[in-house]
Amino acid sequence: MEHPVNYIYNKIAELNPMHGKKLKKNIAFFDDRYYELADTFFEKYTGILKAQNKNLDYAIDCYLQLIADVNAETIEFLRSGKYSSTTFEEVNQRVYARPEIMEYYMHGLIMSQFLWKHHYQIVDFFISKLPSYKGETKNYLEIGAGHGFYLSKALEILDDKTCFTVVDISETSIALAKDFIKDDRVEFNLQNIYDYNSDKKFDFITLGEVLEHVENPLQLLAKVNDLLSEDGVLFLTTPTNAPAIDHIYLFESADFIRDVIHVAGFKIEKEVDLLTEDVSPERAAKLKIATLYGAFVKKDKAAYL
Amino acid sequence: MDRNEILNTVNNVFIDVLDDDNLVLSEATTANDVEEWDSLNHIQLVVAIERQFKIRFASQEILSWQNVGEMVDSIAEKLNQ
Repeated sequence: MEHPVNYIYNKIAELNPMHGKKLKKNIAFFDDRYYELADTFFEKYTGILKAQNKNLDYAIDCYLQLIADVNAETIEFLRSGKYSSTTFEEVNQRVYARPEIMEYYMHGLIMSQFLWKHHYQIVDFFISKLPSYKGETKNYLEIGAGHGFYLSKALEILDDKTCFTVVDISETSIALAKDFIKDDRVEFNLQNIYDYNSDKKFDFITLGEVLEHVENPLQLLAKVNDLLSEDGVLFLTTPTNAPAIDHIYLFESADFIRDVIHVAGFKIEKEVDLLTEDVSPERAAKLKIATLYGAFVKKDKAAYL
Repeated sequence: MDRNEILNTVNNVFIDVLDDDNLVLSEATTANDVEEWDSLNHIQLVVAIERQFKIRFASQEILSWQNVGEMVDSIAEKLNQ
């Protein structure tokens, strides 16, 4: 059977040859493990689309709209050195409060999970390291679960008795994650994380590509620190130099992200900083090409002495 | 600046952005002819050309060029304004 991703790559190459050319470079990189994960993912996703009377072609159109947005934002970013929006209210009016934008944006992002090499690499980093935290994780929290792919992997990897909680501000995201997961071990909370309080502390918190969506990442990390148990682990990812219609906080380098992590009272255990294009780190810095940073961090107890 | 000078300057920008010293453009060159000219590099090229010529393209122009010659048309038009 043909891999769904091959159909997707070919269709994109037909509809947008310049972007197809860029994606083609990824194919050489992908291994059997990629196809195994991607096949399962797209099988599930195609089922969800079908239940909504949609198909992969619809999702491809959504993805290409997202690419058009990213390209337009990138031009503005390279011209000005800034993201086009800087407040939550701005992006709320521009994106989150507009269902017609959210619809294509969410589907476009889902597609990017297995079309962008760095999105695959970061989930691979998560999947390969999470088993080492299995024994200590009784309570798992994900803030901003998106389409729920990380959560689905955590459900597979962690102990059956682990309690899973999701806090997400977006109704669209929660509906999608529920469709993807269909597991009654998960408690979903449609809530702003700042309004969320819990009697229990969490042993593992996932915060995937959320920090760039908030005005004050330090304030969010302080809240996360408060929710995390004493020896708990936080897995976070966030990009540098990655303009998008709903990104408001610009991290200009991985060093800057590390500084924010340290100031928020965490120490880094394991990390990756993935280039989004096949260029040398020097050229990436010169051309302001995005990277995706990911790390497993713990509370830095020395910081409280 | 005549068309040839514009084309030569554009060629130098392509060499710098695509990191390919052997690149030789003609007005008929398209993205299909240049391996590294993909969607991301297109954006890098557009902004580098804007900086080089101190001009600003409209979004529609950026998407409309079929070849380097049409890019040169847009630049020449702006320089003559």
